[in-house]
Amino acid sequence: MLQTVMAAPGKPTKKEIKKQTPAKTSFTSPFASKWSPLPQEDMHFILKTLKDKLISMGLEKKEVKVFRPWRKKKSKKPDVAPQPVPQVSDSSKNGWTDVAARRQLAIGINEVTKALERNELRLLLVCKSVKPKHMTNHLIALSTTRGVPACQVPRLSQSVSEPLGLKSVLALGFRWCSSSDGGVFTDTVDAIKLRVPTLDMAWLQGAKPEEPVAMEEEEGGERRGQKRKLESESEEVSESPSCTLQPLQVKRIVANPAKKKKGKPKKKL
Amino acid sequence: MALHLKDKEAYQRLNYLYQAAHCVLAQNPENVELARFYCFSQKTIAKRLVLRQDPSVKRTLCKRCCSLLIPGVTATTRQKRNKTRFTVMRCLSCGQRKTLLNNPDYCLWADR
Repeated sequence: MLQTVMAAPGKPTKKEIKKQTPAKTSFTSPFASKWSPLPQEDMHFILKTLKDKLISMGLEKKEVKVFRPWRKKKSKKPDVAPQPVPQVSDSSKNGWTDVAARRQLAIGINEVTKALERNELRLLLVCKSVKPKHMTNHLIALSTTRGVPACQVPRLSQSVSEPLGLKSVLALGFRWCSSSDGGVFTDTVDAIKLRVPTLDMAWLQGAKPEEPVAMEEEEGGERRGQKRKLESESEEVSESPSCTLQPLQVKRIVANPAKKKKGKPKKKL
Repeated sequence: MALHLKDKEAYQRLNYLYQAAHCVLAQNPENVELARFYCFSQKTIAKRLVLRQDPSVKRTLCKRCCSLLIPGVTATTRQKRNKTRFTVMRCLSCGQRKTLLNNPDYCLWADR
């Protein structure tokens, strides 16, 4: 054994302790998809603009809290006489105040995702205070592939849900609209668009023809013997880029020695 | 650590394959096959050498068909609720669903 200073007889030394709780290495993803940081003033500006707009529009979802007794409400026949609760109260009371405007917005994560998949959105706002984060992480990649500006605003949910009358708004998207309807949100959208920082994905960058100069030199160097026509053609076709390789990231995990029990993994959740 | 040397190359291979799959899909979104092949190789290497993979990596790979899942391109992501809230990712090629629970206090073992 190695020369060690024994603190007390029988007590394992530090080196042995380390070996007992081995560090496990795991392969981590080199891409950490992050939202780009939004400067404070921009954030305030965006929140404020949105709020004012919504309040001025008076767009709200009203739900009349109807006391529903426990009955089968499905039979809407007039035979079913006693309807203590006016079911069809005023259809105008329930629902959104401004339907046309509602159509131009995509509210809620699912709706926003669907609209993004169909390329209907021109601006995307996501709430930042979401836990767990993977609820909205997919939106990042989605929006960058379509070239839609998107940003995370910390207090989106809190500020926007009040004027709208919803419980929580985690994602908000503005659709492209034809000029007939439009104009309601267009100015807001444009104002916000300017302030939104661009999102990048490491693997996506390569797809754009970023440095044609460097490529030309490379291509030229490789194929000297060929005719010019071929060279230029090949340059155009292979705009393929050198996606720069991210450095390898390996995570090391040291199992927590304090938690070493036999039936350990079950209670981790 | 003695571990480092013999597996480092394997990790580099994993890393390279993973990024290559992303690049492939970035350039040619229709070519799912190649990305799938790369991810398949990646999984096999990890399986052969028993290398741990981070959940963030595993979540982007389909378990059944081994294709790389990119929301919007090769997979759909939805929020569902059945008493608890789930985030459901569906692979478009094989239709395999992957559900993630939306528990705000959940902490991965890896991040412990």
